[in-house]
Amino acid sequence: MKHACKDVSRLASDSIDRKLTLWEKVRFHLHLAMCKNCRNFDRAVELMHQATELIHQTRYGEAKLTESQRDRLHQAMDRET
Amino acid sequence: MQSDPHQWITEHGDYLYRYAISRLHNEEVAADLIQETLLAAWKGHKSFAGQSTIRTWLVGILKHKIIDYIRKEIRDRNLNENAENDPTSAFFNNNGSWSEAPRAWNENPEALFQNEQFRAVLDSCMSKLPEKQGLVFRLRDIMGDETESVCKSCEITPTNLHVLMHRARLALRKCLEIHWFGEEAKL
Repeated sequence: MKHACKDVSRLASDSIDRKLTLWEKVRFHLHLAMCKNCRNFDRAVELMHQATELIHQTRYGEAKLTESQRDRLHQAMDRET
Repeated sequence: MQSDPHQWITEHGDYLYRYAISRLHNEEVAADLIQETLLAAWKGHKSFAGQSTIRTWLVGILKHKIIDYIRKEIRDRNLNENAENDPTSAFFNNNGSWSEAPRAWNENPEALFQNEQFRAVLDSCMSKLPEKQGLVFRLRDIMGDETESVCKSCEITPTNLHVLMHRARLALRKCLEIHWFGEEAKL
């Protein structure tokens, strides 16, 4: 089990971005079952992922083009049409 | 379809702006990319098949403009991270176990995400990431489930993306633990 936690931290990260293979899943969950540190890391990865997604949806919820940005867009389209 | 670009600006301008700004965090770049999007849409509007709404169609174009932009940033600034100098080693002992045990984060995610202070800490931790990791983090976010196909167009392999995301998450977690979850932060 050399490098176990390091490898498993990579699997925790990858599991957000891709589908793990069956063997990886088995290895991952077996390790989590016996390693509290990696369970904590896995949970943190999940939480950070949710946080960044949710913050995107809400942080700029009220953002609007400024008048001058809007004017510039209209002018740019005038030149083209 | 409604083919008046001025009406596109009126009806969808703010929506497109929110989409762009939340992913780029830069007002000027966001506005520029919206202009490029509208111009491209105007040039191509005759071939728009009308299978989706105008908004969906415009967002589709904008999304590709954002990906192109990030890809160019990565290339122009020659943001290479040396693979020899693996920053993940710092988090582990030679035998691959954690050099510092990750703590349990027992906070309720919903409550946490509403917390302005937490967002500020998260923001500052994100901005401390090495530039390429930060860009890839944003790229990952707009790619959603299309990771593989977009990676190809960005001249970065999926494996490369996974390596960078792993590094970014290790660093981000550590930073949050120190500045938010840690004992020092609570004092």
